[in-house]
Amino acid sequence: MSQITLLSSDNVEMKVDKEVAERSILIKNMLEDVGETPDQAIPIPNVNEGVLRKVIEWCEHHRNDPPPPADEDSDSRKKSTDIEEWDQKFMQVDQEMLFEIILAANYLDIKPLLDVGCKTVANMIKGKSPEEIRKTFNIQNDFTPEEEDQIRRENEWAEDR
Amino acid sequence: MDNNQRFSDRPTSLPPPFPGQNRMSLPVSLHSTKLVVRPLPSLPVEIIATILDYVPVSTLMRCARASKKLKEMAYDDSRWVNKLVAMGVWNEGEARRRFEDALKKKRIAQAKLAEEERRRRAASIGASVEPRKSIGMGDTLFDVNEHEAKANGSIAAVAKLAQDVELMNLSTQPDSRVPVREKPKLVGVDTSDPTLTVLSDVRSARGFARQEYGRVYAALWPYYIDLVSARNHADPVVFRRYRQPEDQAVMLRQLGVFSESDSSLGWAERSSRLNSMSSIFENAVLREFEGGYEESDYDERMKRYANVLILLNGGQGAIDLFVAKHYLMFERERLGNPMDCFTNLHSADLSMEPARQFFAQLSEAVNEQSSIIDRIFPPDVDVMIPFLERIGEDVIGEYISPLLEECHDRDIESYLKCVTDIYFSVVQFSKSIRPAKGSEKNFTEEITKIVVRIFEPHYDTYLQEELDHFRRLCEEEVETWEKKITDEYTATESFYLSNINRQADKIDFLASFKKVILMPVNAIPLPPMKQINLGFPLPLPMNPFMRPKPVVTAPPSITDAPADNPYEITPDVTDTQVHDNGAPPTPMSDGRVTPQPQTAPTTELAAKAAILNTRMEGIRTLFSIELALDLVHKAKAALERAGCFVRFQGRIGEEAKEQCEQIFICLINILGQRHVKSGFDKAVNHLSQYNPRELSTAEEDEQVIVKPLVQFMELVNVGDLIQQMLDVFYEQELVAHKLTDKNDFLNPAIKEKKRFEQMLDERVAAGLNTGIDVLIKEVDYVFAKTQKPTDYNPGIVGDLGFPTDVGPSDAARKVVSLVASHTKLLVGSTDKNVLDVFNQEVGMRLWSSICKHLKIQRISIDGAIVLISDINHYTQFIIKLRNSGLTQYYNALRELVQIYLIDPQHAKQMAAVIADGTRFKGIFTVEEVYEFVTRRSDWYQIKKDVEKAMYGFGCSVM
Repeated sequence: MSQITLLSSDNVEMKVDKEVAERSILIKNMLEDVGETPDQAIPIPNVNEGVLRKVIEWCEHHRNDPPPPADEDSDSRKKSTDIEEWDQKFMQVDQEMLFEIILAANYLDIKPLLDVGCKTVANMIKGKSPEEIRKTFNIQNDFTPEEEDQIRRENEWAEDR
Repeated sequence: MDNNQRFSDRPTSLPPPFPGQNRMSLPVSLHSTKLVVRPLPSLPVEIIATILDYVPVSTLMRCARASKKLKEMAYDDSRWVNKLVAMGVWNEGEARRRFEDALKKKRIAQAKLAEEERRRRAASIGASVEPRKSIGMGDTLFDVNEHEAKANGSIAAVAKLAQDVELMNLSTQPDSRVPVREKPKLVGVDTSDPTLTVLSDVRSARGFARQEYGRVYAALWPYYIDLVSARNHADPVVFRRYRQPEDQAVMLRQLGVFSESDSSLGWAERSSRLNSMSSIFENAVLREFEGGYEESDYDERMKRYANVLILLNGGQGAIDLFVAKHYLMFERERLGNPMDCFTNLHSADLSMEPARQFFAQLSEAVNEQSSIIDRIFPPDVDVMIPFLERIGEDVIGEYISPLLEECHDRDIESYLKCVTDIYFSVVQFSKSIRPAKGSEKNFTEEITKIVVRIFEPHYDTYLQEELDHFRRLCEEEVETWEKKITDEYTATESFYLSNINRQADKIDFLASFKKVILMPVNAIPLPPMKQINLGFPLPLPMNPFMRPKPVVTAPPSITDAPADNPYEITPDVTDTQVHDNGAPPTPMSDGRVTPQPQTAPTTELAAKAAILNTRMEGIRTLFSIELALDLVHKAKAALERAGCFVRFQGRIGEEAKEQCEQIFICLINILGQRHVKSGFDKAVNHLSQYNPRELSTAEEDEQVIVKPLVQFMELVNVGDLIQQMLDVFYEQELVAHKLTDKNDFLNPAIKEKKRFEQMLDERVAAGLNTGIDVLIKEVDYVFAKTQKPTDYNPGIVGDLGFPTDVGPSDAARKVVSLVASHTKLLVGSTDKNVLDVFNQEVGMRLWSSICKHLKIQRISIDGAIVLISDINHYTQFIIKLRNSGLTQYYNALRELVQIYLIDPQHAKQMAAVIADGTRFKGIFTVEEVYEFVTRRSDWYQIKKDVEKAMYGFGCSVM
């Protein structure tokens, strides 16, 4: 099993099995383009050491997963299966790390990891107030109180009674 | 990673929001959308959108209050349309129509605005305005260039207008449209409660999917979430709120549909809990339904609970239960045991009576059930077809399988009949079924499908057996015949020749054949089920005529048949008298005329075949038209039986078709290769062995015949007849019934047919070749025997008297009549081309025979008269053949013999005739003419003069 070296944004080299690294479609395609196992480390400029290690940990665990089904636009319900136990544990990190993992997964194009991350966030914001949601997503309230109230009234039907 | 903190432990105070502008200043990463910002990352919008897919609706709506961006995402119409689609209440067509209506109204409003605008402009600017580029366009399109500033304003106005229109559309006339999807009828349900009809009230309109879904959600979500978290089935609010089972069923159904739109995390569990709750409910209702069944309480209890089940999930459970509980499913024996059809323990004798009774009872029971179904189930539910499917599978299938298997084990013949009998019984049964009110329009089609399914396990074996059986039967028949012929071979030496016009006979025969072939062999039983008479009595003894025919109905047209046939049997003669009247008066040589009184109904065809047969007596040892007819009939029976299955669509039909072609091929093979070909071979063999000198019987006859050739000619006739018969058969049975494609030249049946025809042609050609040899041999023999030396040289015996009569000699007469009688035989029996070639060959060979013959005669000047009249006689015969090539030859010969008339004094002229190479159009060379001249009786006296004159003359020419 050939190994390749990844270089995090803070210049830490990490050796990893090619198979594991290829969970990332970005790396996989890159290796395919290059044709052979490169000698030099592959720079991953957007991901720091801590996050990269976490991502590699996930990839190690999921190295033998079957490839995700090709049809993207299949029933949206199919996607939203519950998070498996190992992944739940894996995602028990602080919010910053969680977002970093999601961004890294997005950048490295690791769809299953991205999904797990999104689901974790979805669980996080479930039942939260708008203010809490804003905080979670780090966004500003650009509504006037009247506007916000208007939306609330519009969607009163959705409130859990 | 050391971070094992739980989210709940996470400090709620987060760093202040990161200013959006700063993102732009960060270096652009490889992935343009990816921005990693430290210390606290924020997520790109598409990821947030993905996250929103996973949150429950309530949270989603709160997210909408977080910011404008999130609101946009949460309100995205397609998100809600998807939910409606998932529930199956979104109607794309309706949505499009609404959209188009709105667009149309918008356009009209726009056009109105534009018109108004133009009018205003025209009024203010007047005629001074430069001409418009395109006036026509203004009607429909808004000219953006000219009115840009105003356009913006008016478009906004129009958009608002359109929205109003759309809202109006929604609010004022939602029900004026014909609903495209049939909404389930809610029988026995309190339709005044909007919650119970919330799903069927959903309207499909773009831009309003969220509102529509909101209504559904508001109505159903509380019940839904309550139900899935309920501990037991008594708990859920929905069962407490709605007490009537009908209402409960509707609610459960709606909740089931609603759960389809629940795609937030954990849906799978919720869904399965709902399902289990539903099935608890369903089982309870089914128990009630079953209780009703046991009490035969059709109109009250069963009807009500059937309705509840239909409201719940279409009533499949009720249908299944209802079908499965029918007494026929367990008490099949009450209708009869398949083994009753066997009249005794071991033989294959079958009586269809028990089977018929079985089907009659079954039909009665099913029809009774059909009315019960009408009482229990509402007319929009089809219970009949599932019921019949089960009947077909469990009752009919179980009945016929052992019957057919047993039959198959006992006797193939009766098995084959049994299959078709059963098939017709089943078809009739299927026709006797009265559709219930709930049956769809395609009831008949569905029933046919069921019938197909019943026969599916059998048809394979059946088709194979049919083919094998047919082949075996044919082979047996041919073998028996062959054996018999060999036995009798030595005894049948007498030949019979008729001069009756064969062509007329054949056309007559074929006409009858065609008529008969159009009639069904199998009397298909029609209601009321009567004795099924399938096929014809089998196996038959070799009856030379009066083939018993299964055809029970003679076509009325039979009376129009040619009346000149004295032997014709009119269809109304049905008693045994037939044989006395119909039997041809010509006695059969072997006296095998054994009328069978029990086979009373015979037909015209049989009679004609017999007549023809007596005429064909000469070739009885070679092959038999009877046999051919018999085989064709067997093929027809087989085809008709197998043809039943062709009506089935799809694979079975295709295979049945193929099998039918196979039967036809088999027929051709046996009839052609085995029967006709060997007959021809035998005949050709006879011909080639023929030696006229060994037979002296014809010596004194005026009618000279070469028996094997006559025999062969007859054979050609019959072969041709058989071929035409096959052709008719092919057309009528295979092509007319669409069993084969006539234009498919790769079709094995067509290929086989072509091969048969080719084989026949080859045999005929080979036979004719040998025949000509034989004929000419006979001619030579006649020449040798009857040509007296005094014919052409009367002076030689010393009797100097003038020839008593001027005319052709005996020999010439005999030869001509010999040849003529044989060439006549072929007329109408073979192809015109073959006939021409044959005649030409005969003529040529006769011509060279005559020449050869002349060259051994001595001819005096007196005899030349006889010779010339002989040659004229030949020529006249040849002219009748209408072959210009031949006539030339004979004309040349006629001219040539005139040299025998030249007086010995005129040796010079004689020499001129001889030396004139062009005189006979190149047919005779100078040497040949010279050779003929040497046959003059006075040749030795004039030889010198002639030669002198000839060579002298010849030199001078040169």
